[in-house]
Amino acid sequence: MGLLQREIEAAGFTTICLSIIADLTASVSAPRIAAIEHPFSLTMGYPGDRETQLAVLQATLKALVEMETPGELRHLPFEWPEHLADVASGPPESPPITNYLMKHPLQFKKLLTRGFPEVRI
Amino acid sequence: MTKQVDSFRFVSKGTRRVAKTWIDSAEPKEIPWTPLSKPLSECRVAMISTGAMALKSDQPFDQDGERQYPWWGDPTYRVIPKRTKAEDIKVYHLHINPEFAERDLNCLLPLDRLAELEESSEIGSVAPSHYSYMGYTTQPEQLLEESAPAIIRNLRDEFVDVVVLVPA
Repeated sequence: MGLLQREIEAAGFTTICLSIIADLTASVSAPRIAAIEHPFSLTMGYPGDRETQLAVLQATLKALVEMETPGELRHLPFEWPEHLADVASGPPESPPITNYLMKHPLQFKKLLTRGFPEVRI
Repeated sequence: MTKQVDSFRFVSKGTRRVAKTWIDSAEPKEIPWTPLSKPLSECRVAMISTGAMALKSDQPFDQDGERQYPWWGDPTYRVIPKRTKAEDIKVYHLHINPEFAERDLNCLLPLDRLAELEESSEIGSVAPSHYSYMGYTTQPEQLLEESAPAIIRNLRDEFVDVVVLVPA
């Protein structure tokens, strides 16, 4: 999502990208990044946890206001609650690419090198 | 001590290997930069989620296309109006658990929380439109060439100042 962020920033908007895999977002030279240690599917917090959702949004906007250097990355202080450590943040069924690579393990190299077959639908 | 976020705490072994390889092979590029031109309390804010959510009344994201061509992900986007609630949307991303955002949209697109910040004057206003696309973008060309310019036009038309991107 850092790639889209770059386009929007270049078009004249001030942007910040919350990121679960912040090192990956940083690797595409994203303008401002707020790293958060929350599971996928639950980026802002658990359903109904208004307090955490609000605090994450406020911390993200505060980082946006304070950042002065292109590419700056801030580590947000949120700890994912222990009692939710094993929450099912993954998909109910394996994604198609996972199933495909189980059947065609040699194709995994294409994923690593981004040598994806070009598909347009 | 200041918290250091572990980028890989919630990441599976396979995804971790892919992400680390991509990180190691990345070339730094020039970083675009638009400084904030006024106080946040005067800014209009829009959000973008990679959760592939769409209004139930809107066209679904193409899950069958991805099932048929696993290297492909739907590169389109949907507009999510500012008063949208969880019961109005469906989450089409095949790589996440859709259940949480379908129960409480604020898990991935915190529209209610942003409205509270408008209420408390921490931001100027909530933009009329917000956006969602599918974060599984192995081939980002179509997203960047078609969806990005359309989103940018809409952001301009609605006088947006600040954009927050929220991963799923």
